[in-house]
Amino acid sequence: MIFPFTAIVGQEEMKTGLILNVIDPSIGGLLIMGEKGTAKSTAVRALAELLPETVAVKGCPFNCEPDGVLCNRCTETLQHEEHPHREKKKMRVIELPLGITEDRLVGTLDIEHALKKGEKRFEPGILADANRNFLYVDEVNLLEDHIVDLLLDSAAMGVNTVEREGVSFMHPAKFILVGTMNPEEGDLRPQLLDRFGLCVQVLSLTDKASRMEILKRKAAFDAEPVHFAALWDEEQKSLSGAIINAKARLNTVEITDAVLERIVGVTSPLNLDGHRADIVMMKSARALAAFRNKDAIDASDIRDAAQLSLLHRMKRLPFEEIGKEKEKLLAALAEMRT
Amino acid sequence: MTFNDFVGHEDAKLALILNAIDHNCGGVLFVGEKGTGKSTLARLYQGLLSADIPFVNLPLNATEDALLGGIDVEESLRKGRKVFQRGIFTRAYGGFVYIDDVNLLSPEILSLVLKGQYDGEYLGGRKELPVQPASYFVLLASMNTEEGYLSSHILDRFGMCVLCESLKEAAQKIEVMKRALLCDKNNMEGDGKLREKIYASRLALKDIIVPAEIKDHITQVCIENCISGHRGDIFIFYASRAYTAFIEEKEVTKEHVDKVIPLILLHRKRLLQQMEEERTEQSRQDNQPDEKEEKENSQKTAPDIAEGNENTSRDNGNIEINDLPERPRESKLAEEIFKPGQTFKVKRLTFRKDGKNRYISGRRTKTGSKGKSGRYIKRILSANNDIAIDATIRAAAPYQAARGRKERLLIHDSDIRFKQREKKMGHLVILLVDGSGSMGAQKRMVETKGTVQSLLIDCYQKRDMVSLIVFRKDRAEVILPPTSSVETASRRLREIPVGGKTPLTAGLMETYKLIKRVTVKSPETRFLVVLVTDGRANQSLSGTPIGEEIAKMTYLLEDLQFTDYIVIDTEHKGKFIKTDLAVHIASQLGADYYTIDDLKADYLTEIVQSKKSELF
Repeated sequence: MIFPFTAIVGQEEMKTGLILNVIDPSIGGLLIMGEKGTAKSTAVRALAELLPETVAVKGCPFNCEPDGVLCNRCTETLQHEEHPHREKKKMRVIELPLGITEDRLVGTLDIEHALKKGEKRFEPGILADANRNFLYVDEVNLLEDHIVDLLLDSAAMGVNTVEREGVSFMHPAKFILVGTMNPEEGDLRPQLLDRFGLCVQVLSLTDKASRMEILKRKAAFDAEPVHFAALWDEEQKSLSGAIINAKARLNTVEITDAVLERIVGVTSPLNLDGHRADIVMMKSARALAAFRNKDAIDASDIRDAAQLSLLHRMKRLPFEEIGKEKEKLLAALAEMRT
Repeated sequence: MTFNDFVGHEDAKLALILNAIDHNCGGVLFVGEKGTGKSTLARLYQGLLSADIPFVNLPLNATEDALLGGIDVEESLRKGRKVFQRGIFTRAYGGFVYIDDVNLLSPEILSLVLKGQYDGEYLGGRKELPVQPASYFVLLASMNTEEGYLSSHILDRFGMCVLCESLKEAAQKIEVMKRALLCDKNNMEGDGKLREKIYASRLALKDIIVPAEIKDHITQVCIENCISGHRGDIFIFYASRAYTAFIEEKEVTKEHVDKVIPLILLHRKRLLQQMEEERTEQSRQDNQPDEKEEKENSQKTAPDIAEGNENTSRDNGNIEINDLPERPRESKLAEEIFKPGQTFKVKRLTFRKDGKNRYISGRRTKTGSKGKSGRYIKRILSANNDIAIDATIRAAAPYQAARGRKERLLIHDSDIRFKQREKKMGHLVILLVDGSGSMGAQKRMVETKGTVQSLLIDCYQKRDMVSLIVFRKDRAEVILPPTSSVETASRRLREIPVGGKTPLTAGLMETYKLIKRVTVKSPETRFLVVLVTDGRANQSLSGTPIGEEIAKMTYLLEDLQFTDYIVIDTEHKGKFIKTDLAVHIASQLGADYYTIDDLKADYLTEIVQSKKSELF
């Protein structure tokens, strides 16, 4: 039994960040910076639980989308059969353990099997499991560098390419990457930060009422999970409906030149590297508008999108202090309002 | 979205088109900050090329086998002999290989790729291409200089280099966003016209006339720009010819040559430019005494003035040489915090491989690898879950008849051999910095902090962990426990004050304790202790004579496993006054000894980024 998403107290930014990624996966994931015990992994799991089932090619270890890009294996089977067999699957949260090896991440040839049985067998890695699911990386800043490189490469391309001894294989690896980090314990290289679409800072709630509420709900859930879930059922259904609806009408939300100009107006003075910031901000503003059931993007969508998409991209002079970005960002946003 | 839809970056697109027309153009390296669309452009380019031209993505973890083609296990077992399968080189024959973040690729693999580009030995002899290429495939690569550099001889291998800067104009930015929405919908048809044009240019190539005076012009340009080697000339020749074909003219003119020159000379010319800049910067600094320094000078007491004037008063060479160490002046100078001075590119600091196998990775020193990452260097018997197929088959071969082989090879557990791999790792770099009063003299600390800052940047690029220990007054302090956050380190560095005596032994002691502590927690760690000092120790830890104390401490340190030492001497090496105390300490530690100037990388062999606008 999983704690209902809608029953999580506070942490609105984090929740929005996750939901926007579900509505438009091309936003490129979420980085959560902050302390332990702030419902980070609970939120991801709870959101996956709330979402409707997806359709996949039956028995495919890579969870291929029947009408999308297929893995080498499915492409091969499709040559004998006309239509791929389909099955319905719940979205899952795949966790990436810190000590993971390269082979386990990208997949490898099972050489022992090959030697003894005389046939090749590709052993899929975590990236295969993660295709069209959530990939949750706790403390992404503590991962070995070469692992992070591989991870973000596949995340950016949506494909996992394996070119290692005896294996040349490709399969789709489109996942919603959710990373957490505590900046005190070492940072992520700027290039890698930039690859995360959105970023939020989470803090433990400090007001007494909310803390009490958290306690109460957790106790109620632990005591009678089924009953507790039933209480939240309506809210859950309504959120799930809103997400499905937003996903469906995402492309109908109009992106006018005025909106784009506004976005550039926010990012230009910040002197950011590259164009990812602009693009992510545009996509998240659109997803926000769709989620809020609007036909057009307005100033509040842009402002909220900016909060989510710019924080980790604010340029620091070589080795400037970490906390500075938020101030700069807020200053830029204040300017926008006037 | 199509290749044509890509906003801006006209030179990048031109470079790619020229390479599609003539593979002799030598490939393209895209250099630029993150998020400027380097990879997107490469992907769109793949769509532009006709479907029969191979385009292979080389992932960063590609192994040698993957490049050259390894053993096909299935076939080898069936046939009972080694059967090779096609590697990336063979698959890419006559086409393109794209490497994202090429500066993160392991140097061994990169050099193999560069070699494979021209050396047919690795490849099967397929010769049915319309234009017989000198290279077997064209290399495209991208890099972000924040993450480290490529050496100039590697840069030279790329025919062309293009700087990808993000577009600054609002209108262009808006256009980028609009196109990004199209990005998700693939539309390869839109490039049909361009594709045809490229094909036509390709066929026209052999009829293009290159007059003698144009060849003359090309060599002249290269000579004027002091381009070393001849690759520049050759690539300009092919590129201008391809350009002429592309714009549907018959004869190469000077204008055509000038159009392609920036693409080819950008990364070859930069070295010189960089050197020039450094030189002017240097002389400007020399002629511009700082206000602070002047103030300091005015406060100087008698012995200081003597030292300050050493150039003028000692020119006759008859003055007695003062062998005594400069007297510390903590009593006269208040505690002061200096800002870091100019940073520079640090010379390559690498160390010998030790006997340990490790999981950790990085980019500084070679190490045996425990996991499956790294290069396969030899086969071993001990089990490690990383089977060496070639060796296993060899081991099984003699027993096949006895085991009654009929079809496929029969492999028993006892045949199985494993791989020993080698990769690179980062160190834990312990920066042991002297913060005593003598370091404040002549603003030595400014230069010292600049040096440490430069080392920190180097550590970032080599993926080292860093820790900072400062010794001054009566003790040493770990002001930064081991971290991978170079930013925190550089913040702490700024905050280091100067003043007080020099408790060098306390610093060494603290280092010793830190190494012991870390070794317990993570026994794989390899340490690099960088001692930055002028060597003028004058504060003893125990009351025993300072020399004796240092000797004892260094004896202890020298005994530590997996630890290397570097001493950076910050003493101002005057013509006559120098103590070279740090030299002595270095020899006691068995350390590599550098002065700050020694540490600076040679600009002929290393390259530093500068803005394109300043060049052309």
